[in-house]
Amino acid sequence: MKKIEAIIKPFKLDDVKEALNGIGIKGMTISEVKGYGRQKGHKEIYRGAEYIVDFIPKAKMEIIVDADQVDEVIETICKAAQTGKIGDGKIFVLPVDEVVRVRTGEKGKEAI
Amino acid sequence: MADASFYNKPPAQIQFDGGIVGQTSMLHKVTDQQKTYGLRARKEALDALWKQGVSGHALLKQHTEFIDHHIQNSFDECEAAGKGFSLVALGGYGRKELFPFSDIDLMLLYERKAKKNLEKVADAVLYPLWDAGLEVGHAVRTVKECLADAKADFFFQVAMLDARLLTGSKSLFDELQDKYRRKFIEGHRSDFLREMLEYRAKRQADFGKHAYLLEPHIKESRGGFRDFQAMLWTAQFIFGLHGLHDLYDAGILTAAELEKLEEAYDYLVRIRNRLHYVSCRKNDQLYFEHQEEMARAFGFKNDKSRLAVEYFMRDVYGHMETIRVGTDLFFEHVNEVLDHDFKARDKKVLEPGLEIRHNRIHLASQELLNSKPILMMRLFTQSAKTGIPVHHRTKKLVSANLDLITEKQRHSRRMAQPFWALLTDTNDPLLGLTAMLETGLLAAYIPEFNKVESLAQHDIYHVFTVDRHLLQVIGELQKLRNKERSIFNTVKAEHVLFLAGLLHDIGKGFGTGHAERGGDLARTIGSRMGLSDVEVDNLAFLVRNHLFLSHTALRRDLEDEELIMRCAERVQSPERLAMLYLLTIADAKATGPSVWNEWKAALLQELYLKIALLLEHSDLSEQDKNQGAKLGARWMREKIFELLPHDADMDLAMLPDDYLLNFAPEDVVEHLRHRQGLAKKDILLFHEERQESWSLLLVTRDRPGLLAKIFGVLALHNLNVLAAQIFTWDDGTVIDTIEVSSSISQNYQDQNWQGLARDLDMAVNQRLGLEHRLYKKLAPLRKTIGGTEKRLDAKIEIDNRSSEIYTIIEAYGHDRIGMLYEITRILSDFGINIYRARIGTRADQVVDVFYVLDYDGRKIKDPAFKEELQEGLLYAVSNV
Repeated sequence: MKKIEAIIKPFKLDDVKEALNGIGIKGMTISEVKGYGRQKGHKEIYRGAEYIVDFIPKAKMEIIVDADQVDEVIETICKAAQTGKIGDGKIFVLPVDEVVRVRTGEKGKEAI
Repeated sequence: MADASFYNKPPAQIQFDGGIVGQTSMLHKVTDQQKTYGLRARKEALDALWKQGVSGHALLKQHTEFIDHHIQNSFDECEAAGKGFSLVALGGYGRKELFPFSDIDLMLLYERKAKKNLEKVADAVLYPLWDAGLEVGHAVRTVKECLADAKADFFFQVAMLDARLLTGSKSLFDELQDKYRRKFIEGHRSDFLREMLEYRAKRQADFGKHAYLLEPHIKESRGGFRDFQAMLWTAQFIFGLHGLHDLYDAGILTAAELEKLEEAYDYLVRIRNRLHYVSCRKNDQLYFEHQEEMARAFGFKNDKSRLAVEYFMRDVYGHMETIRVGTDLFFEHVNEVLDHDFKARDKKVLEPGLEIRHNRIHLASQELLNSKPILMMRLFTQSAKTGIPVHHRTKKLVSANLDLITEKQRHSRRMAQPFWALLTDTNDPLLGLTAMLETGLLAAYIPEFNKVESLAQHDIYHVFTVDRHLLQVIGELQKLRNKERSIFNTVKAEHVLFLAGLLHDIGKGFGTGHAERGGDLARTIGSRMGLSDVEVDNLAFLVRNHLFLSHTALRRDLEDEELIMRCAERVQSPERLAMLYLLTIADAKATGPSVWNEWKAALLQELYLKIALLLEHSDLSEQDKNQGAKLGARWMREKIFELLPHDADMDLAMLPDDYLLNFAPEDVVEHLRHRQGLAKKDILLFHEERQESWSLLLVTRDRPGLLAKIFGVLALHNLNVLAAQIFTWDDGTVIDTIEVSSSISQNYQDQNWQGLARDLDMAVNQRLGLEHRLYKKLAPLRKTIGGTEKRLDAKIEIDNRSSEIYTIIEAYGHDRIGMLYEITRILSDFGINIYRARIGTRADQVVDVFYVLDYDGRKIKDPAFKEELQEGLLYAVSNV
């Protein structure tokens, strides 16, 4: 099992969710995060006041899938989240040792 | 064995009345299985009563009597209890208000000499209750212990007020009552009140949190049972009054208040009954998951405009509000009675008719109201200004005289004056508005408020009812005044912003589309209050679009320049944008803790800044009502006038506003100088090398098909058009700025600029055959392009929705020299004016966007004409 973490542009969230639903991924955890990478923060000056944006708002989604689904999920996210501009985001894949559904105690694949 | 049968019989057969007087001694012998049956049967029995229509007090009374019988029997059957014991009910049980799963508070009072029998008696009374699985709060005390405990524990002291003798020694009970009265009540009234108020304040702090607003705690939240009981305990303790009717007889409550409070209390009782039943335990919080079921149980149904649960919760909030306001007024009254310094010591006249006495604002006399109803409004303005609350009797006076606010008052500008002052010119507008809402004055003045009063919103975001939320927004706006000072300073018409805050959700409660409906209502309200047409327009705009910025910031690509431009067109002026931005923040903050965070703030700010920068540099409005643009244009004219030589004879009025707002004053002066050059030449060309493109400035006189001619000549000279802005002065002078690049990668220096100027001159003088020259030029290219395949890419979209002012035509086609010429020529044939053009190239596909209006300056709406135009343009883009 793998955990896929994708950091994407906030406005792409709905598109990505929909695309993932389309390939049968129904469950995911979504959070509002801030960060920066190549797309640095920036400073805006408007009417003499400085507006400094240190960190850029992003959406983070975490999905647990079976190892053989990883490629499909990554491809789907990339396709849906791409705008071609800087700051489109990143995807991380991490190993997962175990998954347990709290309500039933089911483990592994069953619990995803 | 009536009790055993009670636990075993199916609910329909249960006789839950005085007939149950069976032998309770059997109770502690029931088996485990029977016990579980017992509990279920109890729940079902209560449900059966509910279905029979027994609810509210009747249910509590029957439940209490049922338990009384059981306990009395256990006690009476115990021989050891014969002497020196009294069995006392306390708390809610003492008041005969036993809710389905409430604790049964029992106290076994004993004489010291009976101590040896204590264990036996306690066992006899308590075991049966425990075995039946009931929650029992129990204690054994002597009179002395009782008094010591009451001294140490305020809660117990208060619980003693509801003490009721169940059975046993009456003399022992009387002794306790007597000593209690002498020790705690007589001469201790102020202490009691102080402790009660401290406890009340602490409870309000604990249960005033957001979670309890969304899911009210029927017992502890503001306006819940505790508030109500605290009032009755205090009335009993301080005045010796028992119950609401005594309070009415004593003149503390009016007849109307008595009726409303009784109704509210009974409603809460019914809710709590049902809530215990629904949640199968002693649960007093109306959790989200229960609200819908409760709504159904109370007979509410979904309809087109609202959910059943919203009707239900509106009732809940409404009744809790009644209790909250009623008890607040009561405690103010008590406080005043016990405060010996109070008697009219300090008195300060605020203005004729209004005065401050002992840190409360009073109406000087009731008679004044009839001749000067405006005093009611001024009262709350003064309160908001000074931060001093309005006295409770004055509040009651306002509530009783709301009929003085007539249609005439609602239209009166004099009346509106203090209201504007309250909104924009006071330190604590929330204080004044809250009192205005609670007395009913707000809804009397703005009757549209009636619809949203206590209106609940069944979602996890809105923690306040709509009316309270609207008030909170005003509070948040007030805070933004300092926090976003520079943006706030952009707003000249503050009263419009604050009124928009107060009205932005006024259209709720009728189903979807609340923003649209709210916009219409706001228009009515604004006009009635005497706002100018421009102000009314802005007010309606703000209400209608109050979700626009947050929706856009969260769901759209903020790097899409077209989007930012469409936003700017919609908002139109920096001032409106600033108002909308502030309203959006205040709205989010006042909605609940989950709605606003730094993350959203960053997105919203980015959108705001992008639109603001665009609005500063361009004007997007043709409409005269655009105040901000007007001001900007006026400023420009002043600057230009300063820059011009003093002897210059220039009529600056001929320069259109949208032109002025697109250029720096220096540029305009330059253009004015160029215009004089038109006496000698028909078209002037200026060119300049920029980083990514070459910038052309063309000055000429307007003539039919001008743009097509220009684009044609540019194509002839291998220049790709990237963007174009087209302006025409009132005297017919045309100022076009066009960004171009070379389609054959020519250097700037090598471009034949003189040839271009010459051909432009010939073209505008009708001496250049553009058509055949372009045809010849393109002939060799034609063969290299596969015809039909590319034809598929061609597409024309005519969009009337994205922009409020213009029709937007988007032309998609395979990039090809001369295409722009053909498109503009066709537009010219159709008599269509192009106001702005944006030319984008994506790979080898061209997307040209034109902001246009028809010959009469209107959007292109006629379906037949639209189709003809579409076909014509499609021919141009696909005609390879």
